[in-house]
Amino acid sequence: MKEKIKIFLDSDLLEKYLLGNTTEIESLKVEQYIAMYPEVRETYNELQESLEIFAKLHAVKSPEGLKEKITARIRSEHQGRKRFFRYAIAASFAAVMFAGASFFFWNQNQDLQEENTVVSNKIKLLEADMKQQLEDVRNQFIVLNNPSTKKYNVKGNQKAKELKAVAYINPVKKLSYINVKKLPHLPEDQCYQMWAEVNGEMLNLGIIEEGGDGQNLMALPYAENAVGYITIEPKGGNQNPTVDNIVANIAY
Amino acid sequence: MSTLLEKHIVELLQERNDKAISLLYDHYGDTLLGVANKVLRNEELAQDVLQESFVKIWKKADSYDPTKAKLFTWLFRITRNTAIDKLRSINTKTDKEIQIDVSDVYNLGVDSIRPEFMDVEEHLDKIEEKYQIVLDALFFQGMTQQEASDELNIPLGTIKSRLKIGLRELRKVYGPAMITFLLNIIG
Repeated sequence: MKEKIKIFLDSDLLEKYLLGNTTEIESLKVEQYIAMYPEVRETYNELQESLEIFAKLHAVKSPEGLKEKITARIRSEHQGRKRFFRYAIAASFAAVMFAGASFFFWNQNQDLQEENTVVSNKIKLLEADMKQQLEDVRNQFIVLNNPSTKKYNVKGNQKAKELKAVAYINPVKKLSYINVKKLPHLPEDQCYQMWAEVNGEMLNLGIIEEGGDGQNLMALPYAENAVGYITIEPKGGNQNPTVDNIVANIAY
Repeated sequence: MSTLLEKHIVELLQERNDKAISLLYDHYGDTLLGVANKVLRNEELAQDVLQESFVKIWKKADSYDPTKAKLFTWLFRITRNTAIDKLRSINTKTDKEIQIDVSDVYNLGVDSIRPEFMDVEEHLDKIEEKYQIVLDALFFQGMTQQEASDELNIPLGTIKSRLKIGLRELRKVYGPAMITFLLNIIG
């Protein structure tokens, strides 16, 4: 260990470190030796003292006014720094405010855009709906007003004697409608459903709403020798008609 | 210098109190000007360097670590390095413009003790010149012992022994009390 310290002290590392001429790695090594070995520490402290003594022996009387020049320069740099920090704080505050406002407006813009989309979608839906309804009414009008349209009175069978409906069939325009005028009252868990047998296939035409105003025309798919049926089905409608529950049929 | 004063100055420096600069100047200004002068051998340039060094000291105050170096050692490093940078920039300029051989940092020997600085150097007369030269090489020129041996044409062993004796003499002859006395004469 003694040998190691001697080698270290014999090298110029400590002197180089004293003057600040060591590399970072060298500095770490020197600092480690200073911390670990009292002998090295003592030598370093003696060198520091000697340096101060030797330097003081070379002191030069500084000229008048140099001190004032230096203190004034440092004071102005210090002020500049303070001023800089003040501006920096003001600028930061402004930046934060700007960011906050930007976010607020961006957010609002985002909300408005969303609302705009919803509204325009609604308008489109309404438009489509209106067109559809208008088209329906026009078709109905054409069918009802056409001289070749035939009117069939439909009456219910034993199961629903009160049922009355009118079917309009136009073989020329190939359109047919049914208007259900009156339906016997059903228990809560049942409903009337409309079907059409077209080319041997049963098509579900939907549920007939009870308590309607008797003015609703339902479109029937047109086909040669098609048969329309009304059945009683469980509430909500059925996938296939319950043949036992047929209450009326319309052959057209 | 008292450690108490050192502590006070360091505290002021790290509090960014500009009183620190005034105190530093009063206690170390002449010595640091001497350091810059030793490197540059030009009083005007040395004064510029002293000014730049104080600005650096002020700006770098946070980096001073009292556990690693005495305050003076830290001040010395900054001033000496600033002076060396100045010298290099002048040398580069001169080389380019006038091609005059300006003595550089490592130029040493009889040359370094010039008549115009004799009023300063005379305080060193209690130490033999052969020791002074080696101390100068170590502290001001920043030479390694090998470099000093090569530059001065003195065997390495002699450099080592002269350095040892020189340092011992320095501390013996000019202890802290003596230094204060001498500074009072200068002041």
